Amino acid sequence: MVEDLAFHVADLVENALRAGAKLVAVELAREGEFFRIRVEDDGAGMAEEQLRRAGDPFFTTKPGRRIGLGLAFLRQTAEELGGSFRIHSAPGKGTVVEAKIPWDHPDRPPLGDLCGTLLPLIATSPVEFRLVFRDHRYTWTLDTRELKKALGPVPLTDPEALSFLQRAMGEALAVLGWKEEG
Amino acid sequence: MKLEELRKIRERAEAEMRLRAGQARVKIVVGMGTSGIAAGARQVLRAILDEVAQRNLRDVLVTQTGEKGLSAKEPLVEVHEPGRVAIYGDVDEATARRIVVEHVIHGRIVEDHLVELREVPT
Repeated sequence: MVEDLAFHVADLVENALRAGAKLVAVELAREGEFFRIRVEDDGAGMAEEQLRRAGDPFFTTKPGRRIGLGLAFLRQTAEELGGSFRIHSAPGKGTVVEAKIPWDHPDRPPLGDLCGTLLPLIATSPVEFRLVFRDHRYTWTLDTRELKKALGPVPLTDPEALSFLQRAMGEALAVLGWKEEG
Repeated sequence: MKLEELRKIRERAEAEMRLRAGQARVKIVVGMGTSGIAAGARQVLRAILDEVAQRNLRDVLVTQTGEKGLSAKEPLVEVHEPGRVAIYGDVDEATARRIVVEHVIHGRIVEDHLVELREVPT
């Protein structure tokens, strides 16, 4: 099963939301030959045993579920392509997941629609997000705390606010050359 | 981020909020638990946001929630209005757009996907 990278990022964000995070920091970066995905949250975190099994496709912390493929797929993708995957977590201290994927590898999954996949999650979620897209020459940052401060009582799902966010993120992706793939 | 543009958006939105006494008329909640996402909830959420934006529905709030204990009916969409909550199941993108147009705009229940219609005290 090939998931595009936008879906992998969405999986990590959804894990953070389920862990009860209040702040989720997502960083996507072109660093040399690698594309780096890093998602950090301040949610419940995982104990050592959970952490050890976090990349196991048949392990999940979700009650009533027997499989938890999100992290396992990302680990498999990164490691099979010659990249890397690491996860740090501790109970009460949140979780950091980081994957590096060779950008020019012929089997790299497509980026997918980063804007269309991430923006609905961010705009409708009660938690705060800090989103950073960058390469060696350009950095774009979105912080929902600043946005909400500027917008006051107007929700991020307001049509005009959402259109503004789509445009801003689309422009950033165009500058970075991360147009929709796949 | 262009703060000046955000300030103008806020001014326009607040002017409209004052006209309707600050309340969202309708709240749409999409179930984004594991089973919901496996059944297509991401696409449903995206379709709802797109329809709300295209139709410039400024009195509609869209949010997400986790598991609701109705896995067999996922993706689930709730439409909260004063006095009633409608829960829709087996919602795909096309149905999500229908819910916005038929229910949210015209007030007509989308019967073929209705799981429960609950009256709530106002």
